[in-house]
Amino acid sequence: MTMRRDTVISIAKKEIMDNIRNKWIILVSIMFAGLTLVVSYFGSITSHGWQNLGLTIAGMTSFATYLISIIGFMLGYASIIGEIERGSMSALLSLAATRFEIVVGKFLGLGAVLCFTVLVGFGFAGIVIGVNVSNVDYLQFLAFIGMTMIFGLVFLSVALCFSTVFSKRSTALGGTIFLWFLFVIILPIVFAGLLVSTVGLTNLTAGNIPEWYYVITLFNPIDVYSSLISITIRPVSTSISGVVPYPAWYSPGLLLGVLFVWIVVFFVLAAWRFNRKDV
Amino acid sequence: MATQVIRCPKCKTTITVTGSPGEHISITCPNCGEKGFYVFPEPQAREMIPGSAAITVRNLSKCYKTFKAVDDISFSVRKGEIFGFLGPNGAGKTTTIKAILDLIHADRGEITINGINVRAQGKKAREFVGYMPEQVAFYDNLTALQNLRFYAEIKHASKDECERLIELIGLGDAGKKKVGAFSKGMVQRLGMARAMLSNPPIMILDEPSGGLDPRGVVLVRDIILDLKKKGVSIFISSHILSEIQEICDRVGIINKGKLVAQDTVDNLGRKLNLKPQIIVTLDKVTTAIEKAVQAIPNVDQVHTAGNTLEIVCDAKTKAAVILAISNAGGNIVNLQMKEPSLEAVFMRFTEA
Repeated sequence: MTMRRDTVISIAKKEIMDNIRNKWIILVSIMFAGLTLVVSYFGSITSHGWQNLGLTIAGMTSFATYLISIIGFMLGYASIIGEIERGSMSALLSLAATRFEIVVGKFLGLGAVLCFTVLVGFGFAGIVIGVNVSNVDYLQFLAFIGMTMIFGLVFLSVALCFSTVFSKRSTALGGTIFLWFLFVIILPIVFAGLLVSTVGLTNLTAGNIPEWYYVITLFNPIDVYSSLISITIRPVSTSISGVVPYPAWYSPGLLLGVLFVWIVVFFVLAAWRFNRKDV
Repeated sequence: MATQVIRCPKCKTTITVTGSPGEHISITCPNCGEKGFYVFPEPQAREMIPGSAAITVRNLSKCYKTFKAVDDISFSVRKGEIFGFLGPNGAGKTTTIKAILDLIHADRGEITINGINVRAQGKKAREFVGYMPEQVAFYDNLTALQNLRFYAEIKHASKDECERLIELIGLGDAGKKKVGAFSKGMVQRLGMARAMLSNPPIMILDEPSGGLDPRGVVLVRDIILDLKKKGVSIFISSHILSEIQEICDRVGIINKGKLVAQDTVDNLGRKLNLKPQIIVTLDKVTTAIEKAVQAIPNVDQVHTAGNTLEIVCDAKTKAAVILAISNAGGNIVNLQMKEPSLEAVFMRFTEA
């Protein structure tokens, strides 16, 4: 599979230019910054005023799982099928760009938009909190931003794949909405139900979680991301270490690796499917 | 040495630059003094292969589930000719065009562009082609110029060419407006400019006049004829039969997925034994005149519209028609001969 770097860069640049003016992306960036500041200022029950970045991250993780997954889906679901439906894809392909170059360019461009949104939203809030709070661990906050970006790229990759699988933009949207509910609501309930029914509530409250439970959570990127933040970011891990005893193999490296596998697998599927698709 | 006309990015003054391909030329604007440099574009390796046809399609078939969109069609577009591709809605025109460009995967058949197999070397083959799709679309959030520059980057065309093409298609004032605010006709014109990027030797135009106002139709037709003069091979699909008849060297007619005819319009008319039409305008048409004309041997059809008689007969019968009208007391004001129209050819080849 040959690929011209300048073609990929041109496509990525166009995606950035086209999406950076998207009002939804601007709105979500503002929402990130606003929510982070609100969580930091009002987030603690025990004390009032600005919380440090670690505690803010702990409060922000669940918001991030919902919002970032939505952004990833929003950016990706129409990226291929939307252009096919509008008619611009046939023109792009006729200009001697290969399908693989288009998928790579789109992923890079949309990925940059997603990372920029996370960076601007969380970064702005981080600066404001940093000004108001002493002893700020910026490294931890940057790690949180980085892991959130990777998490967002998982959903972008899945949405990109959906965009090549479905033959209509509306069905691709329906598919991604279903998938969002699957990851955010259905799978956590199913996993929790399985756990309670097999282990029993008494065992669970005593902290006896079987290892198979951790294995099945690897199939839900939201669980993987939440666990990664819990284990990696110090104030979060300190606050939950007594409640959730993670097995030794459930390491940050493994969890990051799993997120990368999600990205790569769905990206390869997207490229494979698009190569066989009639435009 | 080559000469290129460029514009100062600051004051828009036109500057003529002379240099060799790949050469960096330092420029100072004679008007505002702005300094910069210009890089002459490298020549593109897009020479047409001698002897090969511009486009060849052999035994092409494509099914959508159980529907046969294209059924075993073969034709070729010669170098430097304008080939009109006609057919009723849903006949398989766009499917054929998409197969030529490898946008859809044909079930069977072989397609070459400039002798290059499209399936095996799609990217290389498409480098020779400028394509204007039936449904022209751009990125609404970007301006016309930004859109064109993006496509120019992909096609390795110079950015100056974008401004020249925008001027050529009459959108000079709208170049910096977002495409989202464009009318359908303006988008269509921009689509023509995109197809012309980097001077492709082969153009594939799917309904290029759709959505254009009369001025736009004339502009596009003039551009097409100008491209032909420059030796560009053009494959055009259109519903405007009069336009096709006027500009095309040969036509292919597709009906229900099958190519039912391909030749010049005159030859197709002869094959169908279509007769020309004599249009006679009189000061007054009487029943006696109509009967006299209908009685002439070799007159196939007589139609009266006001003071005009439209008579379908062979050319040799013209004198007999004039004589019959005169003998029946008719006073001829005007007389015209009309060759078999593409419309008549099209209707005959596509009737159920």
